[in-house]
Amino acid sequence: MFTRPDTRFYKAAGLLLIAAAAFVIATLVLGGGPAEAETVEPVAAGTSTATLVIQNVINGLAFGVLLALAAVGLSLIFGTTGLSNFAHGEQVTFGALLTFFLSTNEQVTIPLVPGSFSIGLPLWLAAIIAVIVSGFTGWLQDKMLWGPLRKRRVAVLQQMVVSIGLSLALLNLLQWWMGASRHRLTNASGGRVTFGDFYIGTQTLMSVAIAAIALTGVALFLLKTRLGRATRAISDNPALAAASGIRVDSIIRLVWVMSAALAGLGGILLALFDNGAGFDSGARILLLMFAAVTLGGLGQAFGALVGALVVGVVSEVSTVVIAPDMRYASALAILIIVLLVRPQGILGRKERVG
Amino acid sequence: MPDTTVLDGVAHEPGVAKPDPILIADGVVRRFGGLTAVNVGHFEVQRNTITALIGPNGAGKSTFFNLLTSFDTAQEGSGTFDGKPLRKVSPHKVARSGMVRTFQLTKALEGMSVMENMRLGAQDQPGESLLTAFVPPLWKAREREITEQAHDLLHRFKLYEKRDDSAGSLSGGQRKLLEMARALMSKPTMVMLDEPMAGVNPALTESLLEHIIELKDEGMTVLFVEHDMHMVRRISDWVAVMAQGELIAEGPASTVMQNEAVQDAYLGAHHDTDLGEDL
Amino acid sequence: MDILINALEQMFTPATAAFAIAAIGLNFHFGLTGLLNMGQAGFMLLGMYGYAISVREGLPMWAAILVAMGAAMLFGLLLGWPTLKLRGDYLAIVTIAAAEIVRYVGRSNTLVNVTGGSLGIKGKDYKGPLEDLSPFPDERITVGPFTYHGSASDSWWLRVVAWTLVALFLLLFWRLSNSPWGRVLKGIREDEDAVRSLGKNVYWYKMQALIIGGVIGALGGVIWAHGSAVVADAMGRPTTFWVWTILLLGGAATVMGPVVGSVVFWAALSLIRALAKAFIPESILPSTAIEPFGLMLVGIALILLVVFRPQGILGNKKELAFHA
Repeated sequence: MFTRPDTRFYKAAGLLLIAAAAFVIATLVLGGGPAEAETVEPVAAGTSTATLVIQNVINGLAFGVLLALAAVGLSLIFGTTGLSNFAHGEQVTFGALLTFFLSTNEQVTIPLVPGSFSIGLPLWLAAIIAVIVSGFTGWLQDKMLWGPLRKRRVAVLQQMVVSIGLSLALLNLLQWWMGASRHRLTNASGGRVTFGDFYIGTQTLMSVAIAAIALTGVALFLLKTRLGRATRAISDNPALAAASGIRVDSIIRLVWVMSAALAGLGGILLALFDNGAGFDSGARILLLMFAAVTLGGLGQAFGALVGALVVGVVSEVSTVVIAPDMRYASALAILIIVLLVRPQGILGRKERVG
Repeated sequence: MPDTTVLDGVAHEPGVAKPDPILIADGVVRRFGGLTAVNVGHFEVQRNTITALIGPNGAGKSTFFNLLTSFDTAQEGSGTFDGKPLRKVSPHKVARSGMVRTFQLTKALEGMSVMENMRLGAQDQPGESLLTAFVPPLWKAREREITEQAHDLLHRFKLYEKRDDSAGSLSGGQRKLLEMARALMSKPTMVMLDEPMAGVNPALTESLLEHIIELKDEGMTVLFVEHDMHMVRRISDWVAVMAQGELIAEGPASTVMQNEAVQDAYLGAHHDTDLGEDL
Repeated sequence: MDILINALEQMFTPATAAFAIAAIGLNFHFGLTGLLNMGQAGFMLLGMYGYAISVREGLPMWAAILVAMGAAMLFGLLLGWPTLKLRGDYLAIVTIAAAEIVRYVGRSNTLVNVTGGSLGIKGKDYKGPLEDLSPFPDERITVGPFTYHGSASDSWWLRVVAWTLVALFLLLFWRLSNSPWGRVLKGIREDEDAVRSLGKNVYWYKMQALIIGGVIGALGGVIWAHGSAVVADAMGRPTTFWVWTILLLGGAATVMGPVVGSVVFWAALSLIRALAKAFIPESILPSTAIEPFGLMLVGIALILLVVFRPQGILGNKKELAFHA
């Protein structure tokens, strides 16, 4: 059910703004003290709550864009196959860790292969290769696992449990491969761009720019190309799409390649934003991605973007009032609340429920 | 020939009032996005008759059916069943008040045995409440009654031999029979059948028809959606025709089929529909 | 030989019993009703916190158990209310999210005085009441190849209590699944619209199943806590996925499935670890990799099970809990 961003898009954006404004006002009125010292970037002493909130909104929007990139594949796969893919988080981690593997000067190993070595490619080249290999893993998964399951008409819920098994297997494989510690993709600390009282890291800014370009690419693909239109047709009605001559299976394979590659790219950019990645980086944000996709309306590619922005802003801004180690909890709470009020998500069409 | 005497004095026009209606729908509107699927001004079903709801594909029959049984919610309109209001009543309450339905795509519970399917249809089993379920003496007696009732119905519907088989092993027609028998377990006053003949092999249609006529003989009211005009002619006392979401004609089968609006609706949608021998 | 005895030991640990209990709870959800509860670890964690905090604050044992059950009941109500009317995967996403919220909040420094933050609650704060009830002597007792303490922590007494509870819950599941109540749940699992058309309040039945399975999960958590400690991060998503693996391995919707699944799961995991340690050289599989290697195999086992034998060891292919 991919639809062009119409008035509902603006409604959703408005909703977001109102929610953010309400939050700012509430915190100002309640006079919630500045967050405890654990915030990502130290804030100069004496900053007002309003400044802090706006700074957090900026961080949240940046995080949201990156999250959207990582999550858009989840939405595409759900839209075309109906599968809630729990192994998507590991796909995100894989992109980041493979980039580290290819670019670091430290000694690295491969499971079951004795000995260690270092490759030391430049970061940009490592990242490109990692995205391509990520895309290939998507192809391989669909070829070896999901395609055959669809052919056997295995129920979607059963496939979902398969994806849980895959997630468990890949998570532990990644830990086996890279150990339990976090790895930094680059040691360059990067500068920051300041404007007035606010700032954003140069690395973050670059990541967000790359993510925005990639997201625009996805949007153009879905709206302007024949393959993209076919993808949307399958999301709308697979049987009808098949009947009108669209080769559903090859499109779905393409969707798997795309979403794995986008997840990989998202993982790399998130690792730059987050100053590193560990074997469970993707697993940690899996639920935030689900939240983003569900908030936006399951299966709506553009919904994932709006949802991710909401999740990003809520989780960052909430650190103004609650402890930073609970910031993800607040985003998940928003997910549950939205499901209560609007089960079809922010952008989703109202379907018969209950 | 079906007995139509009770409806003799009733005018043959859509939305007409009946002498003793059991089901009344008023001003029912259901829209999906911009599309109005159902827009029925007024509709009544006479008690203890067999009424057919017909119309070309996409006429909104099944949606209307879902609205009447609360499986779908209308944006506007109201209705009563046996004097009780239907608006915003949940589907299980509609069923409990005596109006049970079957489905176009049969919903036999395939993982369960035929017998368990039947038992599930019964009402007032205290063992279905969590607290009494712990204590078998509180529900065993009722369970025996239910089982006996199920045996009778299974004999009547010629499914007795299959009682211990899983419902998934039945043929399409047998599943339709099972679904109907299961619905009767609740001793309803009105039975709503959504395309009872769809996918049933011709050998079984005859017995299905007889079962439907028997329901009326036992005092029940039947409303059914059907495509096969020969069936409609054979068993229905009254026919209501829908097209494009609206009720366009009502009357006995023979009159309705000759109605111009009906013929237009069918011919417009479906050039090859067989409206039966009178055409 | 040690490897085998070790595996045999694993079959009867309190942890094995605790997971069997959690899986019995999940069997009410998924096996009987077809509900996708992906947050069983959250129910377990709530039970642990409810019990441990109550005891620490001086409540008697029976009250602490009631608190644990009440917490799970509330959690189930809260989760079921918005989601049980929606498509199955909404419940999955909401339960998994809610379980994570419980974990995040539990491990947060903000509540360190209540939950002990990421370090959790120490055993001595809450294990007392149960251990005081032990009829066994306060010393290590050896029976055959097995030696455990009589009453303290990972003890003979805890084993007796845990497996008695398992037996009780098996009886409960058997009684309820063979009652008219269980019949309604099975009907819902097959096709909830059909059951609705027969006059049953489907929503309410699903709620009852969610709550009863969650409460059982919470009591599983209480048992687990007595064998180790109350630590939020031990009850993350992997724990839920293990419970699922256990249920599907043994056979969903069967009475004995959860127990068989738990026993086989823990014994197999211990065997895999021991064999990998004994036979794969350190240069290929370093000791730090044995744990992830074993758990990777769990994931693969779950995939193979669901694809090739969704009915598990004991299940019946006709009565599958998976429906489209």
